[in-house]
Amino acid sequence: MIEKWSHHSILGFTDSETVMLDLDDMSFRSVKYWALRTMNWFQLGGFIILRSSDRCYHVVFDRKVSWTQNMTVVAWVSLLSHNKDLHRWLEMQCIKQASTLRIGPKRDKGSPRIVSRYGEQDGQIAGFLKYRRMIKRIMKNMGEMD
Amino acid sequence: MSKKIAIYGVYETKARVPVPQRYLKKRRAYSYMRKGKQIKVAAGKQRYWRKVMRTKKVEAKGRYEFTGRGKDLYKAIAKAHTYMPRDYVEVPAKEFLEKPEEYGVRGEWVDREVESP
Repeated sequence: MIEKWSHHSILGFTDSETVMLDLDDMSFRSVKYWALRTMNWFQLGGFIILRSSDRCYHVVFDRKVSWTQNMTVVAWVSLLSHNKDLHRWLEMQCIKQASTLRIGPKRDKGSPRIVSRYGEQDGQIAGFLKYRRMIKRIMKNMGEMD
Repeated sequence: MSKKIAIYGVYETKARVPVPQRYLKKRRAYSYMRKGKQIKVAAGKQRYWRKVMRTKKVEAKGRYEFTGRGKDLYKAIAKAHTYMPRDYVEVPAKEFLEKPEEYGVRGEWVDREVESP
């Protein structure tokens, strides 16, 4: 368990070609339903679900997409799920023109944990996990230095 | 390259900011005319506010988006704990390491509530 990050900054992963969702205030059952439905509708190959805190989940899909397609998928989920937090998150991503998910801890919340995997995992998910490992290694090394 | 590492949050830094300060202005002649008699020196002073520039500790939000290879990213993240981002900074880690003062200001990250990225 790597929770040695004593700094107050937050580390995250940003990508415009990976479909990522930030689903807050939702049960795990609903998150899995929306992840499966989105994957089937847009043929995204597979997904992983990460639990960031209580009733807050992140979803990362496997297929590489363009930025326009990415926003189409997120807007579709936001519209159908009626999740206000997701809508707000979508607006913030549109401003940056890239999606970001948290990797490191934030105040009293720990790092997001993988809770579910489904379908193909060797595309964008592999890339996401590679960066996640790298960020965790950096956090561990910096924590040991302090 | 579309994949980046984001480092963001709230930080404290020293900056020159406008601060309101109270000044006194003598209004003897003006007061004399209005009230029809000579008044005391203290009563004839008018107080007013002026905004002056001071160096103060201020809180600000910022965000780095680093691209690059592992070693450069590691060094850039370590450096990002001394140099705070000026708003939204998207920069290759290597370039940031060469001239960190160009992209950031000295300060330190503070523990505050930050919205989802």
